[in-house]
Amino acid sequence: MRYVVPLAAVAVWLFADLATADAPTVAIQLFQFAPSPVAVEAGARVTWTNRDDIEHTVTAGEPDRRTGRFDLRLPGPGASESVTFTERGVYPYFCDRHRSMRGEIRVN
Amino acid sequence: MRGIGAKSMAVAAVVVAISACTTTNGGTASSPSTMPAMGTSQTKAAGLRAGLNNLLREHVYLAGAATGAALAGRDAEFKAAAAALDANSVAVAGAIGSVYGAGAEQAFLPLWRRHIGFVVDYTVGVATNDRGKQDRAVNDLIGYTQDFGAFLQSANPNLPKAVVADLVKHHVVTLKAVIDAQGTKDPVKAFTAIRAAAEHMQMIADPLAEAIVKQFPDRFRG
Repeated sequence: MRYVVPLAAVAVWLFADLATADAPTVAIQLFQFAPSPVAVEAGARVTWTNRDDIEHTVTAGEPDRRTGRFDLRLPGPGASESVTFTERGVYPYFCDRHRSMRGEIRVN
Repeated sequence: MRGIGAKSMAVAAVVVAISACTTTNGGTASSPSTMPAMGTSQTKAAGLRAGLNNLLREHVYLAGAATGAALAGRDAEFKAAAAALDANSVAVAGAIGSVYGAGAEQAFLPLWRRHIGFVVDYTVGVATNDRGKQDRAVNDLIGYTQDFGAFLQSANPNLPKAVVADLVKHHVVTLKAVIDAQGTKDPVKAFTAIRAAAEHMQMIADPLAEAIVKQFPDRFRG
């Protein structure tokens, strides 16, 4: 019985840690994607959250070479969107409204 | 009130400049015992405010020099002014970076350069008498004010987006007046307008400095 609480705490910590690893988040703040690049395992779901008071997009590819894999619109502060990456590879992305904003997801 | 504020800033800038000269030219700086009390003009906060005012006013004068040369067809002068204007842009971004870090500096520079691109578009519209191009450039500039406001609000919650956007909108309007006067070859109107546009930058620089000091009181204490 005395092990129940510590084990529960460990379980909570483990699952919390796994959740972080499996569901990385990218903040969009001060016209930057952070962190970037982000390394994830195949199957990971990456979530972007806009913290700026302006619309940003998360658009796959580069401004001159869009891949069309995803094009998320995050209209304002608190807006959040996710993409699941099932295949290994390097996925650059940018904001279509502020094209100097660049990020990258690396899927292992 | 604006006139008094501008004069105060000019005096502060002169005092800072004089202090710098006496310190660097042959070691003539006064010792603390002989130096008269100069108080607030030498604080970090005063330096920040004077520095931002200098950078933003320089931005207007160099922009006006570039657009004036472009509209008069003085190509070499335009290129030199544009290069100086870009050096000013790098310095403005550096000032942002000195407070908010390298990432913010890198994000800010292209955002700032973007509005200069729109000003170039407007100038080309005036030069070619293309009303549509002028209108598109003005719309782009007005849209840009929202981006600029959002950036500063994100950096500093003491700078509400709407307030910043309005101040930058007035910058757009005053600089537009400069370009319009240059386009009509009216030098008196152009130079009157450029002084007004430069004076307006204090309305951006002062609250920006104040908000930064409020956000980081320990860094600007004393």
